This record gives sequence, structure tokens and C-alpha cells, in this order.
Amino acid sequence: MFLKVLFKLLLAKRGLAGHLTKTLLIMRLTAIFLLAACLQANATGYGQTISLSETNTSLIKVFNQIKKQSGYEFWYEDKLIQKAKLVSIHVQHAPLEQVLGMLFRDQTLTYEIIGKTVAIREKEAAVQEQPLPPPAAIDVHGRVLNEKGEPVVGATVGIKGTRKAVVTADNGEFSIQAEKGQVLVISFVGYGTREVVVSENNSNLSISLKIADQVINEVVVTALGIKKERKAVGYSVTEVKGEELTKAREVNVMNALEGKVAGLNVNSIAGGPAASSNVIIRGVSSLSQTNQPLYVINGVPMESQPKGSPGMQYDNLPDLGDAISNLNPDDIETVSVLKGAAATALYGYRGKAGVILITTKSAKSNSIEVNSNYVAERVMNPTDWQYVYGQGGNTHKPDSALVAFNAGQYSYGAKLDGQPVAQFDGVARPYVAQKDNLSRFYRTGGTFTNTVAFNRLFEGGAIRFAASDLTNRSIVPNSGVNRQSFNLAVNFSPYKRLTVDARANYILEQAKNRPFLSDGPGNSNFNVMFLPTSVDVNTLKKAVNPDGSEFGYSNNVYATNPWFAAEKFINNTDRDRLITSVNVRYTFDNGLFLQGRVGRDAYTDTYTGVVPNGTAYRVNGSINVQSTKFTDMNVDGLAGITLKANDDLTITPTVGASYRRTKTDQITNSGTTFAVPYVYNISNAIDKSVGLTPSDLEVQSVYGNVELAYGGALYLNGSLRNDWFSSLATPGKNNKLNVIYPSVSGSFVFSQLWHPGWLSFGKLRAGYAVVGQATDPYQTLLSYALYSPTLNGRPLGSIANTSVPNDALEASKASEVEVGTEMKLFHNLVSVDISAYFKKSRNEIVNAPASISSGYTGAILNIGQLQNKGIEALVSVTPVKLEGFSWTTSVNGSINANKVIALAAGQSSLPVGTSRTGNGFTQNIVGYAASQVVAFDYKYDAAGKVVVDGSGIPVSGDLKPFGSAYAKWIAGWNNEFTIGKFSVSFLIDGKFGGKIFSATDYYGYLFGLHKATLVNREGTFGNGLNAQTYYTGLANNISRLFVKDADFIKFRQLVIGYSFPGKLFGNVVKGATVSLVARNLFTLMKKTDNIDPEANYTANAQGLELGGVPPSRTFGANLSFKL
Amino acid sequence: MTILVKMRNIFTGAGVCLLILAFMTGCTKNYDAINTNPAGYSKTNFEPNYILTTVQLAYTGSTDFSYETWRANLIYCSTLMQGFSSVVGYWAGDKYILNPGYTASYWGFGSAQGPPLGNGGDGAYPEQVKPVVDLIQFTKDLPRYKNLCQIARLMRALVMERITDLYGDCPYSEAGLGYYDKTFFPKYDKQQDIYTDLLKEISDATSKLDPNGDQPTGDVFYNGNISQWQRFGNTLLLRVAMRLVKVDPATAQTYAQQAVGHTMTGNGDNAFVKADATGGRITINRNSQVLLGDGGPENVYTKWSKTFIDMLKPVGDPRLAKIAITHPTWDNSRNPLGGNDTPAVQKGMPNGKDLSGIPAQDISGAPGYTSIADYSSPSQYLTKRDGPTFILTYAESELLLAEAAQRWGIGGSAAQHYHDGVKAAITYLGQYDDKATIADTTAENFVTAHPYDPANGLEMINTQYWIHTNTMLDFYESWSNWRRSGFPALVPVVYPNNNTNGTIPRRFPYPVDEANTNPVNYKAAHDAVPGGDNLTGRVWWDK
Repeated sequence: MFLKVLFKLLLAKRGLAGHLTKTLLIMRLTAIFLLAACLQANATGYGQTISLSETNTSLIKVFNQIKKQSGYEFWYEDKLIQKAKLVSIHVQHAPLEQVLGMLFRDQTLTYEIIGKTVAIREKEAAVQEQPLPPPAAIDVHGRVLNEKGEPVVGATVGIKGTRKAVVTADNGEFSIQAEKGQVLVISFVGYGTREVVVSENNSNLSISLKIADQVINEVVVTALGIKKERKAVGYSVTEVKGEELTKAREVNVMNALEGKVAGLNVNSIAGGPAASSNVIIRGVSSLSQTNQPLYVINGVPMESQPKGSPGMQYDNLPDLGDAISNLNPDDIETVSVLKGAAATALYGYRGKAGVILITTKSAKSNSIEVNSNYVAERVMNPTDWQYVYGQGGNTHKPDSALVAFNAGQYSYGAKLDGQPVAQFDGVARPYVAQKDNLSRFYRTGGTFTNTVAFNRLFEGGAIRFAASDLTNRSIVPNSGVNRQSFNLAVNFSPYKRLTVDARANYILEQAKNRPFLSDGPGNSNFNVMFLPTSVDVNTLKKAVNPDGSEFGYSNNVYATNPWFAAEKFINNTDRDRLITSVNVRYTFDNGLFLQGRVGRDAYTDTYTGVVPNGTAYRVNGSINVQSTKFTDMNVDGLAGITLKANDDLTITPTVGASYRRTKTDQITNSGTTFAVPYVYNISNAIDKSVGLTPSDLEVQSVYGNVELAYGGALYLNGSLRNDWFSSLATPGKNNKLNVIYPSVSGSFVFSQLWHPGWLSFGKLRAGYAVVGQATDPYQTLLSYALYSPTLNGRPLGSIANTSVPNDALEASKASEVEVGTEMKLFHNLVSVDISAYFKKSRNEIVNAPASISSGYTGAILNIGQLQNKGIEALVSVTPVKLEGFSWTTSVNGSINANKVIALAAGQSSLPVGTSRTGNGFTQNIVGYAASQVVAFDYKYDAAGKVVVDGSGIPVSGDLKPFGSAYAKWIAGWNNEFTIGKFSVSFLIDGKFGGKIFSATDYYGYLFGLHKATLVNREGTFGNGLNAQTYYTGLANNISRLFVKDADFIKFRQLVIGYSFPGKLFGNVVKGATVSLVARNLFTLMKKTDNIDPEANYTANAQGLELGGVPPSRTFGANLSFKL
Repeated sequence: MTILVKMRNIFTGAGVCLLILAFMTGCTKNYDAINTNPAGYSKTNFEPNYILTTVQLAYTGSTDFSYETWRANLIYCSTLMQGFSSVVGYWAGDKYILNPGYTASYWGFGSAQGPPLGNGGDGAYPEQVKPVVDLIQFTKDLPRYKNLCQIARLMRALVMERITDLYGDCPYSEAGLGYYDKTFFPKYDKQQDIYTDLLKEISDATSKLDPNGDQPTGDVFYNGNISQWQRFGNTLLLRVAMRLVKVDPATAQTYAQQAVGHTMTGNGDNAFVKADATGGRITINRNSQVLLGDGGPENVYTKWSKTFIDMLKPVGDPRLAKIAITHPTWDNSRNPLGGNDTPAVQKGMPNGKDLSGIPAQDISGAPGYTSIADYSSPSQYLTKRDGPTFILTYAESELLLAEAAQRWGIGGSAAQHYHDGVKAAITYLGQYDDKATIADTTAENFVTAHPYDPANGLEMINTQYWIHTNTMLDFYESWSNWRRSGFPALVPVVYPNNNTNGTIPRRFPYPVDEANTNPVNYKAAHDAVPGGDNLTGRVWWDK
């Protein structure tokens, strides 16, 4: 009955598409009821009621049982409890009070419930208390703090041997009347208990609690948001606390994870503020589908595909960012990285590339949190160009404005001699090196972020509201991003056993002039990077001529004046996004829970791109207005129960069903030639066209999961999932739309059986899982379309597909085996977490590139086999742990060996991306790691000599793979020092074994900027060729010259913090922290001469770079305090 | 005991639940509808005539900013043939310098977006071959599109002939069949085989045209006039046949003979596509877009070649006044306004010059240099944004017949065909613009004054053919006909650091992208080009 109400609610929320899903939901509902019914037969309870079956058992053992079932802590003196009689008790679903009554009936002890603690004391004491005259009581005040000096709310402060106890308030303060000589016992879940003797001198106490030696009870968030004790998890989970992302922050929060999680390969994209982040977990596991993880926010899946360009010709478009970059790091409580398939099995097809679970904050106390962060940003010049020769050609100094204009971007002129020389604008200036063009052009950028969050607890619930504003000024002139975000989280219990968690995150983002990438036209990055050695970028600063046309410096109209590109081009994206979720959970008396969840991620993007009037290559201008409406609706239901088979064995079955509908409606209005110049709106364009790009996907899933726990030492988990994909449907064909796949994983806590002194915790884990995957919609049918304009009234029809559709698609499968261990040694001073995995993907749905002579750029095929094997490890050591000084150092690292095992029959390579240079590619090649950087080698004759053509230029030989674009080894080294109230942390990280195709170096050859072009600059080559012709030919033919090692070690992050104690502010402020932060401080090692080894310009084809925003270092401060 | 029973119950329960999951069926009834693109059409509701219009338009150049027209037709072919000349730095063809991206442009490359937002790629394979092959497959079994299908076959022949003329061996029999045959890596057919098949295809398709059948509504050449299509088919057959005079004269003669008597009969049969200036870059005249400087300084620096003007001016060719102007001007939207069209002031710009400031190379050092604006530009009639792009003309037809008559004595008098051809090549200019019309008598007088001389027959015919195709701005055809005939005799430019040892290029190298996407077939073809896969290698018929 309840479920019906719940789902009705969900349907109402779903609105329009509701009726479509109704049938489905009713079906799913029936399934859940059926399953629930068959489970209920054997159900024993969990929750607020207790079930016990004990005969002659010690009270302590019974307490442990109750604690496990109810979460209540017991508080007692050991010697007291030793007096207790053994008990026999058999109850089913009895309330706690009733059980306790039965247990204590025949004892000399009694109890009292204080908060979540059951305090045990002697019965006599209570009786004797009455007749005695009360001794002089002292008012003891105090404050309970944790190791960081933050108040501990809800800690129990009791007087030993009495029933008297109080709980600390929001600020950690307590007040209790006690007698001199009595002992205060202070306890809190997860912390070690402390005792303090009451005296007149210490009536105002500050008590600091330390985290208990109880790693065993650490809880991690796993798939479907289920919290599990770490020891029960059979796969690798890494958690990152929100605070690690907020101090030294990045506009795209994912970039802040770089170097922090073993097995996570994060690559920021050189696209300026709020550009995408390329996140790869455990290597590339799909040949052409997404390799980005699934992001799940508070249980609701959110896709975050980078809206980058695919790495084809003319990619002078901005990177439009990814969905994850919209999140405000201040709202993040934890980020949980689920790496293996066993971990993600319950997310099914969407979790194939791993899952990143993000839990946002909810209120934990009555407080106001304020966080303020400012970081400034300065460009770093990655180039090492030649500054011997100036602008010109043929070692010839321009002798007129026309010649200089014609020499354009070329630095094949004469030796720089400091003498006046004609420049493009007719002004004669000294012929000298201009080494500072980058720092002259790029300004000091900055990001100012302010967040305020209000937290309130109320009876039966809590509410948190946070508002945040981010203002970013990019280092690229006239570019930046603003973001306002509002986050509301409410959780409450309207009825007993029913909890409701509702959240809404409203995000408004205005990205102004995201910079172009790759190719030169309209791209300020490209054009400032390749300015001739003797042209000062500031001489171009006026940007426009008096007639409004571009103030050009080159006869190549596509060499856009960088100032004109930055100031006159328009490239704005406005995003209006609402992420909402409602999670309702009902727990029956017998412990059976039912949960229903609805999540909706919806955004509207409005993109406006304008090539302005006067642009040299498009004098009359053009405009592109794109409106994208995206909704991703997820509904799921889950039912589960913990069943107890005997003393040691519990079984937890869970069943669920989910429904997903993802729709995109995109309308693009394009126009060229503005009727009234300089008025940039679509209606002012003379020639207009419109295009519609819809997308629609539905997936239904059912799944079940069974977990066995044996004696706190052995855990086993098995799951099965069945997905149905609309994207596999072909009208007129009855093909298989679903895929079923299992997972098993287990964990063995060996420290339960073997616990030498040096071993605090030890666990072995293993898992195996299969994940199915389908594809994007509309890839099964050939579809025709019309161009927007007509030819003198005649419609222009064509084929819409650019890839050959496939009407026989089937879901692909990937499997993964994982083993690992986790250990805490020497009283937790050392912790080790190691995993090894082996992943295999088969029968991938691939958009396999085809020869364009087939008419298509590719074909949608079920092909290929890809494998990844690797090891990842995290070792953390605390060498020093003293009062007031501690040092923790941790190293995480991973090695991933990736291999393409097979492609389509008879096919040995599959192109991925093409550099703008036209002679550098990335390909998947059978027998090699994925995304090989491929280029033309020299051609050698039989004697091994380089073959040259008639003019003396080396001829290109075979197209050869030089290595994967993805790093093989990734490592991060983190250090944290605490010195009194100061804390210092720094991170050094590195990647090794990856390659990058440096198109920047290619253009360095073409334009005569590269130092290699200095060799024999004034002489002749081969058959009398000059240097420019020779090096241009060489660059065109021998592209292997531009394949570079992308290895690097960077000093990534430094944070120096100071915590002010609350009393400094009269406890009005409950603690404030000021931090100085810096990111990307130094490159300690790189092997690329003229580029940043991380300068990829698209997440979709790693290994290609050109024309991106140069690297920058950021530094600033973070202030956070709590009221 | 009870525990064991209990456990067994639990396990059985859990097992049954999982089994239920595995055998559940999803509610997937509406999945076909969900997975059908609502913005697209299927074969059952689409009109194939619309594809024909696109094919005819795309043959005039890419819908994406005249992609290959700019690079292949203008930057390369027009300057190699000394029809145009340019000092714009990237006009590599003018200096016999290889720009592999430009020479690959005609072949084309793919892009991720198809119509309506994109074109699926720029160049011949994605924009011409793909739709024309689909059109044939679409219509071949539908009697109501009988003529449309034959026209599609003729269009395919037209499209493929130009590709093979530029590159030699190339994907032909398997081209464009990615969807129908699942051929994703087409083999490169030998040019000889391609030509053999083209001749058969054109003959067969032309013979199957039925004047009583459908009149394709998408046809912008002839508005569905089947008789005109029959004459077009035979004229195309003649042109394809004559390509083989060097390498296989017997076949050339056989098919020329077959065409005789069935070719075009007047300028009214000229096939052309009239552009539409209101459709933006998708429908604007391709050559005009470039020559008006929409994408670069071509309007200022691209001129008629000295070689070309020197061919017309001394003989008082009446065409000069209509096709050439000095000091061109444009309105604010860069529509051509005209210039000085006085024949006496016309002056062609020498090829192989630049703006480097180096005396031997710089245009300012050329003999007789006064100013850039004093050199002749293509006239405002030839560069109208909504002007026609000529595909195949009566004048070409007559000149080819003149050559057939001269070589083999077939199809009547060479002198008569020459007379008719040259005359038509003068009078057809009126199809550019009424104001470009040259009176019939003026043309007649000129032709009469410069009669055919059989002694120099082939040179006269092919020089006139060269002049004519240059005025059509079909420099692809100028280059092909020059390569097969050797006329006119052009003097190569002398420019340092060229890639051809100072000879006029004979072929475009294969696109490097094919090495990436079609590696096996590419390598075989790349290694088999006589003279190497470069600008100086040769196609089969250019032995």
C-alpha cells in the first residue's frame, strides 16, 4: 500500500513521461512485492527492535548483539559487569526497553538510556543515594573537542558510578553537577573514552577526545549509496573527503583529484576555466565509447561526458566543459571512487568505467559555515623557441609593410640585429626578440569563491541550505566563468520508520568566451603562441582598424589577431541546471526496508557563438545560437532485509529495479552575414538555417544482491542484473534488447583470527564481475534529413548518418577480476591498500572509423577485445606522532598495462583522433596499448639509410605507433605535517610512459620558431633548398619528430593552514581556519620542449595538443569558519 | 538442525528471487519508437528527388565554404593551368609547392555531424559519392523513379570521373557502399577498370532513359527534361571516351562513334547549377565565394593569368570584355560591382610570383608591373553569388567532336564542329548574366576571322577547349584535357624550392588520412603510382 503511494508520488514528479512508465513501474512493483513476500517468511529484525536467542550467555556478549542490532553503545565499568549473572533470553522484535528490562530483572545492576548510550550501574547505589545528605556539588563546565580542536556534539559526559549523565551541546559544551573526587567519563562513538577527576580547580574543562583504534568500524559508501563497514567490502574503494577539494581548489572539482587516488588518471583539458576533465579509472576499457566514470550524486546517476571536440580537422571550438564541473566543492561531503566492476556491478552498464560517488553535505549541527577562497593565476611559458632569427622568409628581413604582412607568422627572416625593420602596420621597430609575448598577452587570472551554509537540526530531521558564488577571471583576456549555486538538503522522519531525504541543487553558470582550441582561426591561444619572434603582441593590441575590420598582421586571414580573437569573438554558454532527488525509505518492524528514489538532472544550455563583423576570414560575420534541453530521469526502488541464520551468519538480500529516461532536445540556429553590422543576434543574420538534434534513451533494469556475513570475518556478496536498452531496438526487427550479468566478491578479515601486536587490521578481498553496455540512440537505422536552406526553392536532402548504422547491435560485456588487501599496522601508523585487477572488454559497440571513400566516417559495429591489467597501491605512514607535531606521508601509485587484443576481423587498427597537422594520429592497434600516438617515420633503404626525394627532403616511411597516449605509471606523494595549530601539506605527482603528439612543435618547424630549425638556417639543403622549405617538408613528411614523451613530475599542491581556537572569538566562532594555497607550482621534470605534457585539448582523443590555454600556476588563500 | 533448515530456506528464497530477475522481461514495446530519430526520415517517407538536388549542387563544390573548390579547383588547377595567378602566400599550386591538405581536399574527409547541422564531411566522397550511391540504391527497384535512377547513374559517372582524373586509381566499385555492402575499407580500382566501367555505365544509363517516364523534380540541370538528359549522357560519354586518346585510342574511337549524333545541340543544352545567394555558404556559388574574398584576400590578389589574357587580347577575342576587369570594386557585403572592362587595359598577372620582397620572386619585380589592381580580375558576371556553375556544355561537346573528326574522320567535319564549338563558347557567356551576352554576329565574325586550320587542328581545338573551360571556371577540366592533349603548350613557372623540379604537376597525391583510415588499400595504391605518389606521378590515361 505504502509503495503505491510512494510510486504515485514518483509518477507525479515525473510529469509528462509518467504514463509511459506507469505500466513498467507497476510491473516492477509486483516484482518487489513478490520478492519481499518470499523474504519476509524468514525475516528476523533489524532496526529499533531486538531479537535475541541466548542461553547462559555473558551480559557483555548480549550487549554486543544489541549494539549490532540497534546501534546503542553500552557504557559500564568492567569490574561492575564481572559481577553480573549469565543470562538466558529469547525474544523476537522486542523493543529495546523491554529487552533491557528482561536482562536486568535478576541482576544487581540497573541501566539508564542517555541518548544513544545505555549506561550500567549498581542497583544499590541508586537505592542508597536517597538517604544520604547531598555532598557539596561543583558546577563543572566544559567543552569536548576532537583532535582538530573542533567541538564534539552529542558526546556523553557521565559521572562514574552514578546514573547522572549529560550530552554535549552544539558547541561541544556541557555542564554537570558533580562532587569533588568523582570521575567524569566522556565518551563518543568512534572515539576513545576519557576520564577526568572532578576537583575545584578544574571546574572549567576542555577535554579532547582521540579517535578510537577502531578502523574496523570505518564505514564506506558503496554502490546504490549503501553504507558498508570497510571490512565487509570485497573490492577497492577510495574515499576523499570534501575538505581536500575545497582549500586548494580547481574550477572543475575533478582536477583536484589528480594524484590523490591510486588508479585514477585525471587529465585536465587545456581549455581554460571550467573546461572538461578527462577521468580514466584503471585504464581505457572501451575502444570508442565513453571511458569516463559514472558520477552518482546522493544516489542519483549523472552522466558527465565532456563536451569537447573529437580531435578532427578545424577544432577551433571551445571545450564546453562537463557536467561534473558545475558542482560546488563546498557542498561535497565525500567522494568515493569505486574502481572495479565488482564495486560498480549494481550500477550496471553505466558503471563500466568505474563510478565516482559524491555525497553532498547535510546538516549535522545548528551552525553557519562560511568558506571564502581566492586564488590568483599566472601563465607559465612552456615554450623554448629560437630567438636568433626574426620575422621574414628566406633569411630576408622585411623591407616594407607589405613584405612583413606577407611574411605573416614566419620567423625564417634575418638574424635579429636590433636595427629598425618594417612591420606589418608600416611602423619601423627594432628587429629584436620578443620573448614575453605570453606574459604580455595573458593577464593575471583569479577565482573568488564564497560559500555560506546554514545548518539546522529540528525534531526528527535536519536541513542544510548553502549558497555559493564563484567568479572566475581567466588568464585569457575577456574570458571567465561565473557560477551561482544553491543547495538545499532536507532529511526528516515524518512518521516512525519512514525517512525522507530530499535535495535540490540549482546551478546557474555563465561562461564567457571559453577560449578556442587547436586550430588558429579565431583562437587567441594559437595566434599568440606562434607570433613571429620579432613581433611584440602589444603592437597588435588595437585589434580593429578604424573601419571596424580586424587589425591583421598576416596575409593569412586565418591567423587571427589574438586580441581581436579575445575581444571581438563571442563564445558564451549559459547554463541553468537543477538536480533534484527524493529518497523515501520505510523500515518495517522486522527490519525489511523499502526504498524509493527519484532523481532528475535537468539543464538548459544556451550557447552563443559569434564570428564578428570585420573578421578577416569572414568579413560579414556569422552567428550560432544553440539551445540544448537535457533531462536525465532516474527512478529506482530497492527492498532489503538482514536475516540472521545463526549466531555468526547473517544474510542480506536486496532486490531492486530502476528506470532511466534520458532526453536531449537541441535546436541550433545558424546565421551568416549581419544585415546591420555589429548587431549580434540571430534575427539580424541575412542567411539563417536551423537544425534539430534530438536524442532519447530508455533503460529498464532489475537487479538483486545477496550478502553473507560470517562472524565479522568473512563476507561474501553476489549480484545479478538485467538491463533492457532502447538504443538496441531496430524498428521492424525483433532483436535482443537485454543483457544479464553477475558479480561476486568477498572479503576475509584475517586479523579477526590472527592478530599479532603489530597488526591492527588486515583483510584480503577478491571480486569478479561482468558488466553489460549498450550505446547511444539512433544508431540502428539509416535516416535521411534535409539541409536547412533550399536551392532556389528545391529542398536539399541527404543522409543524416555519418556512421553506418547497424540493425543487429547487441549489448557488449566486460569482465573484471580483482584481488587486494588492506592492512593497518603498528597501531595504525602504517596503512597499506593494494589491489591487482584484470579487466577484459569484448564485443564492444564501437563507432569504428571507416575510409571516407565508403561515404561514411565510421560504422557502428560489435567488435574488438581490450584488456587492462594493473596494480594500484596506497601506502600511508605516520613516522612522527607527537603531541603538537605529526607527520603523515603517503604514496599512491598505479601501473596499468593496456592492450588491444582484437578489432574487427581482418582489421589491425582503428583511428581515434587526427591532429590538425594532418600527419599525426591516435589509433587503437591490435597488440598495443589503446590510443597509440601514431606518426610517419623516416623511410629507410635496404642499407638503413634515410631515403630522400629529388629535392633532398626525407620521404615519409611507414605510419608507426610510438606508444599510448595514456600514462602507464601514475604516482602521487602526499605529505601532511601538523605543528601545533599549523598544518602544512604538499602533493607531488607524476605520470610516466605516455606519449603526446605535439602539433605545437610541428608549427614550430613550419614557422621557424623551433630551435631545431636553427641548424644550417642560412645554408642550403639537398638540391639547393632553403631552410624554410627543407624544414616544412621535413615536418610534413616525418611527423615522428613531434611525438613526445609526456612524462612529468609536478609540484602539484601546497597548503599551509592555521586553525584559530574558538575561544579566541569568545566561542562565537566555533573555529576558523586560514590556509595559504597554491597549485601547479613547479614542473619538476618534463620531456617536452615547447608544451606542457598535460596540454591535451580534447578529452575524447587524448594524446593530441594544439592551441590550448598555456599552463598556469595558481596561489591564494582560503578562509573557513563556523558560527 | 533448525538452523540448517532455516539457512536452506533463506538460500532457496534468495536463489528463486535471482532466477525471477534473470527471466523477467522488460516492457520494451515502445523501444522501436524511442529509438527512431524524430528529426529524420526513412526510406518509406522520404523523397529521393531531394537527394538528386544535393548531388548536383555538391558537384559544384562543398557545402562547407567551397572547401575543395577553393583548394583543388582554384589554388591548384586554376594556377597549374595558368588560367588564374595569385600572389596569396598559401596559393601553393601557383608555385608547384605541395600542400598535402589542399591536394587531399577534393577526395574529402569525414566529419562527425551529418545534415541538418553538418554535411558528414567535406569533399567528393562524403558529399558527392555518398548521396549519389545512396540515390541509386534507393531508386533502383522503384519503377516510379525509373528516370531518376538513370540520372543518378549518370551523376555518379560524372562524379567518379573527376575523382579518378585527379588521383588515378581510387575507390570506385566499392565506394559509397558503407551502408549497403558494409564495405568500410573500399579497395582502389585501377583507373583502366574505372574508365571501362564508366563507359558501360554511361551507355547503359543513357539508353534506359525513358522520355515517357518520370520527370525528376529534383533535377536542377534540366528540370526533368529527359531528352536533354539523353544528350547530356552522350556528351559525357564522348568526353570520357576522348580522355583515352593517349592510352587506348581504339576504345576512345568506339565510344566517340557511339555518341556521335546524339550529343548536345546548342547552348540550351548546357548543364549548369544556378546558385542561390539566400542559402548562405551551403548554396552560394562556390567559385564566387572564394574569388570575392569571403575567406581571404583572393578578391585583391587573384587575377587572370598573363598566359590566359595573352591568348585572348592579341586576337581581339570578344570574350575578354565580358570576363575580365581591372580595379574591381565591391559593395559593403562584398558583392561585385564591376571595374574597368576595357579590353585594351586588360593585363594578366604572371604566375609564380609572390610578395616576399625578394626581387626575383616579388610581383613588383615583374616586367610591366604597375599595381596589383591593374591586373585583370574575373568580371562581376563570373563572380555573382547566385551565378551559375557550368557542368558540361555544348561548346565542349562540339570541340570534342571536332577532335574526333580530326583524329578519326568520324561524325562530320572538324572545321564545322570547331566553328560551332568556339562560337558557342563565346555566346554561352550570356548564361552568366544578360549583360555578359555577346551578340551572335560578333561571335560569328570572330570565328570566321579565325578559321580552323587542320594542320594545327589538335592544338587549335584544345587551346579553345582550354579557353572555354577556363571561362567556365572548371579548371579541373582544363587540367585533365591539357594532360591528355598537351595543349596549349604551357611554360612552367620558375620558383625556388618547388616540389616538382620545375615541372607542371600531373596528379594529386593520395590523402594522408587514407593511410590512417584505409591503411592496406592505401599502401597498395600509394606504392603503385607510376612516378611516385606525388605531384609528378601520373594517372593511367596520362602515360
